[in-house]
Amino acid sequence: MTDRTSPLDAVHRALDARIVPFGGWEMPLNYADGSLAEHRACRTDAVVFDVSHLGTVRVTGSDAHERLQRAFTNDLDRVAPGRAQYTHLLDPDDASVLDDIIVWWVDGDRFDVMPNASNTDRVTGALGDGAIDVTAERAVLALQGPRARERLAPVFPEAAEVARFGVGTAEWAGVRCTFAGTGYTGEDGVEVAVPADSAAALWEAVTVAGFVPAGLGARDTLRLEAGLPLHGHELGPGINPLEAGLGWVVRWDKGDFIGRDALLAIKEAGVGRRLRGLTVEGRRPPRDGYPILRDGEAVAAVSSGNFSPTLGHGIALALLPVDVAEGDRLAIDVRGTEVPATVVPLPFVGR
Amino acid sequence: MNLPEELRYTKDHEWVRIDGSIARIGITDYAQDALGDVVFVQVPDVGTAVAAGDTVSEVESTKSVSEIYAPLAGTVVAVNADLADAPQRLNEDPYGEGWICDIEVGDADLDGLLDAPGYQALVED
Repeated sequence: MTDRTSPLDAVHRALDARIVPFGGWEMPLNYADGSLAEHRACRTDAVVFDVSHLGTVRVTGSDAHERLQRAFTNDLDRVAPGRAQYTHLLDPDDASVLDDIIVWWVDGDRFDVMPNASNTDRVTGALGDGAIDVTAERAVLALQGPRARERLAPVFPEAAEVARFGVGTAEWAGVRCTFAGTGYTGEDGVEVAVPADSAAALWEAVTVAGFVPAGLGARDTLRLEAGLPLHGHELGPGINPLEAGLGWVVRWDKGDFIGRDALLAIKEAGVGRRLRGLTVEGRRPPRDGYPILRDGEAVAAVSSGNFSPTLGHGIALALLPVDVAEGDRLAIDVRGTEVPATVVPLPFVGR
Repeated sequence: MNLPEELRYTKDHEWVRIDGSIARIGITDYAQDALGDVVFVQVPDVGTAVAAGDTVSEVESTKSVSEIYAPLAGTVVAVNADLADAPQRLNEDPYGEGWICDIEVGDADLDGLLDAPGYQALVED
């Protein structure tokens, strides 16, 4: 099966992006200046990511609210139309996080559910009849960074003014777009879903306005610094929301949802591990899968790790035994060399 | 792709600059571009004796780790200490300030190394 491509694929190739397979898609890893420069641009100014590989599953109708409430862990009644909410889809048997999702409650009976690329079919299935995968109809641009709103304002003022975790719709150049004050970088920003045919024009407009194109490489180091989980690393088969430190995403008092019984049993028994941050001295990146040692004994493995461009040293996330405390000194086995590591609070880089 | 004519190359995308009995080594422009931003370089200790094909260094980018192999047998006589704080030299100037180490190789047989056209053919293959 060939990988899907974004409506912006030709734009990326014209910019000489390095394209890699990701979740069944071919997407930019980085552009000409490299992922470190893109990372720094997001921390200091404004960047644009093509995140069209994220799914959009549209759920409409009078029972749409109820369908989402029964499928996902978070409680829509804590927000309102015109708001976005982070939520989880759990495995009914063991409460593993099958996907972590942002729901855009666009208005009344319309919800745009945004799963991870490779989980779109699974999420569509969990929402039942009437949930429509509209991923192919649009592109999504993530406009992120401390100057993102300022730079977006002359291009698309309605989107630039959306509240943090707010959702809105407005016309841009004659086409209806949906946008939200959301992102995955630890910076303020706006994500805009634009009809596929108009995606290249919006990309052009925002890059002329000063947004620096950024790829998956920078996106990963940015979210890692922000301590944000990535499905398949900090969430996924065998990992439940409580272990990932995301108990706030689960609302026990809202009624039944998929995986509630399984997760309740886990909660009552207590979890044995919890997501933590680790820092190492020096620039050498701790990488996914490297063993984490306590008194010479492997107690966990790095779930995500890299060089932190902002901090200038290595950082890692890992599910560590619950008796490990902040400030504890552990070690990471870097291909046979034990590198000292310290348990630190998350996020690594604050907003 | 920048490929200086005076250098020798290996199939592992390293370059070798022979100066008397000293072989200076680094990674090619092609290699640095494929690796992406280099964030860490582990250089060998001066005095280390190496056989041809031994791992002498590790180059890490934000996306991967690459081992650097000794192209010739000998003894490490100098390392690029600047890389500790400036590993990006491998990206910025791979054949110059991005050198990794010098190996005393004596009167080495260079027949196993590629010349620039030979390396270019390998990369384009």
